[in-house]
Amino acid sequence: MAAGNALLRPSRAVLVGTATVLAVLGLWWLATSGLRLLNPLRLPAPSEVWAAFQQINGRGYAGATLIEHALHSLGLVARGFAVAVITGVPLGLLMGWSRRAEALVNPIFLLLRPIPALAWIPLAIVWFGLGDTGKVFVIWLTAFVPSVINAFTGVRQVDTILIAAARTQGASTAQVLRHVVIPGAMPMIFTGLRLSLQASWTTLVAAELVGAFFGLGRVLNIAGQDIYPGMILVGMAAVAVCGAGTTWLLGLLERRVLNWRPAV
Amino acid sequence: MSEIVFKAVTKTFRLPRGGEFLAIDTTDLRIEEKEFVAIVGPSGCGKTTLMRMAAGLEFPSSGSVEVGGKRVVGPGPERAVVFQQFALMPWKTVRENIGFGLMCRGAPKAEADAAIGRYIELMGLSGHEDSFPHQLSGGMQQRVAIARAYVMNPAALLMDEPFGALDAQTRIVMQEELVRLARRNPRTVIFITHAVDEAIYLADRVVVMGRKPGRIIETIDIKPLRAEGGWEEMPIEEVMDTPAFTHMRSRIWKLLKAREQAAADH
Ligand SMILES: Nc1ncnc2c1ncn2[C@@H]1O[C@H](COP(=O)(O)OP(=O)(O)OP(=O)(O)O)[C@@H](O)[C@H]1O
Ligand SMILES: [Mg+2]
Repeated sequence: MAAGNALLRPSRAVLVGTATVLAVLGLWWLATSGLRLLNPLRLPAPSEVWAAFQQINGRGYAGATLIEHALHSLGLVARGFAVAVITGVPLGLLMGWSRRAEALVNPIFLLLRPIPALAWIPLAIVWFGLGDTGKVFVIWLTAFVPSVINAFTGVRQVDTILIAAARTQGASTAQVLRHVVIPGAMPMIFTGLRLSLQASWTTLVAAELVGAFFGLGRVLNIAGQDIYPGMILVGMAAVAVCGAGTTWLLGLLERRVLNWRPAV
Repeated sequence: MSEIVFKAVTKTFRLPRGGEFLAIDTTDLRIEEKEFVAIVGPSGCGKTTLMRMAAGLEFPSSGSVEVGGKRVVGPGPERAVVFQQFALMPWKTVRENIGFGLMCRGAPKAEADAAIGRYIELMGLSGHEDSFPHQLSGGMQQRVAIARAYVMNPAALLMDEPFGALDAQTRIVMQEELVRLARRNPRTVIFITHAVDEAIYLADRVVVMGRKPGRIIETIDIKPLRAEGGWEEMPIEEVMDTPAFTHMRSRIWKLLKAREQAAADH
């Protein structure tokens, strides 16, 4: 019975999800093309969005096709996120493990943390110009914070008896870190990575809105200037799909790495 | 040399809200090399604290703890610990948990695998080698924790209620197995338990503790009884029926009860 349910559940979820999406699309069509309740300049009809989608895929828009814009944005997110994880997680681990490191780094952290991502963008443009480096820099700054905090918390939450047990078995400090502290912090580290990834996308779009040659944020920006609602929606949908796709990939990785956890 | 000596040990804990708590009052205890000592006493009397000081995970507030003539300054693989809470690594399989100490020691893989396999079999864990702890019952997790200590072939074994989560049958099997292991390869053992029967059956000496403050009330020699009664050749249930055994059991119960009464009257 239980196995049957487990098999049924995903397909039911897919069914419900599909139904919801279809219902929203139906309402959208009704409100725009069907009953003409809304001004097409506020909310475009599905057909207009489709036309915009075909345009950007064919001739291109804002200097490139949708795929090119999306790949550009994905590349920036991947770089910013990767740099944030590579620097943030070790720093968080270090701060969690060593009170001295925490005392050293924490004040800087407390000062920088309240500054929102958008506030960094002008400085990034001044320092790095409108190219990719500035955007990777801003993504790194914002995605860095959740990686650090969650890795830190993860270390602090490791059961001290596990550390004690490892030491009674002759583990060195390096072995305690590698076999106990880091695996023990891993669930929290992944929580941090998820938040960092979200922050990466938010920051990327904001940065590309301010100044960019390519990217989904650029598409949104130009479409806004052109007062082209169909294209705006295409840009928004593309951001959503890219964001969901990367989150899904991260989830796959998480399930592989944390395979030792009881299934919920 | 692995005799464990507590010399005028006291242990106070600083409480989070200020103030201090005397967990162990001035305690002297000498456990000889290859002696098996069981500690019984009510919850909170400081059994675990005493053991943790021998393990090097806690340090006395005054007095000293020495193992093999050397002051204990930290944990070490020659003093294996079986924790009351099992303390298995959830991210390691049964095999990896049991083999962790050997890996830390840098034991050759073939040798380690053979030893791990032997204890997996001995502890009745065959077929679960690649399971994670959360996939095991509490009793099975406890057997992994025991195997992990045995596999290190330590000079001293510090066991904190190691059979607490086992069902009655498995418990008897484990007790007999421990007696067999102890006879084949004697080592210094501190064995904490709530079960007075178990303490008498297993130990050379039983240390009875009381609380408020935690201290030793009495230590009782069992070894002569075992030799006279020929316990080692008898199954456990017969041993427990002998007059010498039942007499010893009621004596220890009375000690524990009188002490609790005194603590309550206080
Ligand atoms: N780290 C600590 N901080 C403060 N108090 C502690 C600490 N560890 C132990 N205690 C106190 O010391 C006393 C003895 O604890 P201990 O764990 O040694 O008892 P125990 O005899 O092993 O009990 P049980 O049979 O329930 O396991 C208890 O009152 C406990 O609250
Ligand atoms: Mg205890």
